[in-house]
Amino acid sequence: MPLDSAQTRTLSQARGFIGRRPGLRGYLLLSPTLMIVGTLMLIPVLGMAVMSFWQQTGHMAFDMSGTLNNYAEAFTRDMYRVLFLRSLSISGLTTLATVVMAFPLAFFIAFYVKRHKMVWIILVTLPFWTSYLLRVFSWKVILGYNGAVNSGLMSLGMISEPLDFLMYNPTAVVITLTHAWATVAILPIYVSLEKIDRSLLEAATDLGDSPFVRFFRIILPLALPGILAACVLIFIPTVGDYVTPSLVGGSDGYMIANVIQFQFGRGSNWPSGAAISLTSMTIVAILVGAFVWSARRLSGRRG
Amino acid sequence: MTKSKEFIARLQDGQFNRRQALKALGAMGFAVGAAPLGMRSALAADNATYFTWGGYDDDGMFAPYIAQHGGPPNYVTFGDAEEGFTKMKAGFVVDVTHPCSNDIPRWKDSGMFQGMDKSRLSSYGDLFGALVNLPGANDSAGQWFMPFDWGATSITYRTDLVDLEGKAESWEMLFDPRYKGKIAVIDSAADTWYCMAILAGVDISKPLTGEDIDKTNALMKKLRPQVRMFTNDMTSLQQAMASGEIVMALTWNETPVALAAEGHPVRFAGPKEGALTWCCGLMMHKDAPNLDGAYDIVNAMTSRETGVYVIDYWGYGHSNSASFKMADPGVLAQLGLDKDPIAYLNAGHMGIPQSDEVETRINRDFEAIKTGF
Repeated sequence: MPLDSAQTRTLSQARGFIGRRPGLRGYLLLSPTLMIVGTLMLIPVLGMAVMSFWQQTGHMAFDMSGTLNNYAEAFTRDMYRVLFLRSLSISGLTTLATVVMAFPLAFFIAFYVKRHKMVWIILVTLPFWTSYLLRVFSWKVILGYNGAVNSGLMSLGMISEPLDFLMYNPTAVVITLTHAWATVAILPIYVSLEKIDRSLLEAATDLGDSPFVRFFRIILPLALPGILAACVLIFIPTVGDYVTPSLVGGSDGYMIANVIQFQFGRGSNWPSGAAISLTSMTIVAILVGAFVWSARRLSGRRG
Repeated sequence: MTKSKEFIARLQDGQFNRRQALKALGAMGFAVGAAPLGMRSALAADNATYFTWGGYDDDGMFAPYIAQHGGPPNYVTFGDAEEGFTKMKAGFVVDVTHPCSNDIPRWKDSGMFQGMDKSRLSSYGDLFGALVNLPGANDSAGQWFMPFDWGATSITYRTDLVDLEGKAESWEMLFDPRYKGKIAVIDSAADTWYCMAILAGVDISKPLTGEDIDKTNALMKKLRPQVRMFTNDMTSLQQAMASGEIVMALTWNETPVALAAEGHPVRFAGPKEGALTWCCGLMMHKDAPNLDGAYDIVNAMTSRETGVYVIDYWGYGHSNSASFKMADPGVLAQLGLDKDPIAYLNAGHMGIPQSDEVETRINRDFEAIKTGF
């Protein structure tokens, strides 16, 4: 249906109004994202914050008058403290292992692959094409009692009985997470390595730097943004992972997210679950903030 | 038609300006975003939802339903009934769900369920009276709980890998230091915790006291270092037992039947302290969106043919007495189910409903002990 002149005028007036205000135009463009973030992130988090001050009185029955008991429990109960520390150390180890393993590959693709770079990048993302759950299960197949590692070692005659310490412990969680998150580390490191101006390397060589010194003086500091991004991208989600520990962690590999899941599920203690979640979020935010800040300072001094 | 052709032609020629391209992209985004809104109601209308234990999403239990509706109901599963109960309390509406007899009062009191109209329950007359009339299962408002399956929780063990040294089968087997790290238990307080309660000498047919809980917790703490996995995934458990990774596990009747069928030497122990026995059944949600479908699910599951399937292939008892006359007598004798179900259930220990407070505490303690505290 063609617009009549009045409608056309209103429309062009609206366009003019938006056109004259670039800030507003930016927000309009962002509005779908803002709406999604607002409704799906902000409101639930606020809801959790409110809920964390309630008190469980029965099965799914809560006293809403407001109390700090849940936070007191989150900070003082031994079980939570140990689980927080275990989650943080599992994630820390995972982050370290992933970045250390991802860096050489990213380095190789950035500096030594001359042709078909895209194919390499696609190959790196290949594990992401299947479900995360499948990748965890494939680690169960590899590390399991009759798995690839055990049957390989047995057929080589190196062991007579399957090793049972490969699975159902925190190490298995670290191994599985390291593999699962490798892509997330490789890509940002690759991008920051790729951006490095090659003439800087030539200059360093001309001025007498050995390849070793050149790596630490030029490449590593310039790749730092990518490494930082990789650390943050891996550390934050792995602290809250609960699928991996519940599948390969066994009873010694439980992490804080397993307790949160329990509190929201069978435990029916949502306020306590909310308080532990928020505490966990705060701890992660502080740690990541401190990490990024100190890394920036460190690299700043070097440059 | 012409419009879309024109669109493609312009796309190929690169004759789009920025505004047109954005418009087209915007329209596409809206269409994709709006698509699920139109579809959902059509799907929900003709199929009922059955919310049950993982593993019961087995088409073999729904032959009459499938014949009527052309396909199985929507299956949604929970790890244990407590988890399912919490999800429904949080607002998840289903048609039919699958609690056990000791859940009846708490579930009924939640106000989330409805009494079923006996005249619409086609197998009602076939069912064992003792199960239909379990405490709280029915009242003047109708049948709240339709019994479906019953059996025991006990230890399944590999007879070739576990040496009893001539001793009688007992819950103590789980504490044998020789099998440390080769034991699995069910990740549910309703099973594992109650089995330990039996060993602790607690009478679970009475309301539990704080002392009972402490005694059982002490045994649970002793058990934990023995355990390689707490699991509800009976398929993984079965594989672990087949490989010898696990030599002893708490299971329901189904696991030894399945393992024996694969040719593994296993036994379902009859512990001298008595096994934990249970009867589970079906409850109908008060706001069941598909009430006719809900009755079809209940009628299919309590039918004679499903009963035969449950006995022969799952090794569980079934609520339909007529099924027992049709089931394989060899299987029945092997399972020890050739008796009256009530005699079978009474031979073990059957838990009675506990208060909300006690249930919540048991679940909380169980979780803490499992985690190592």
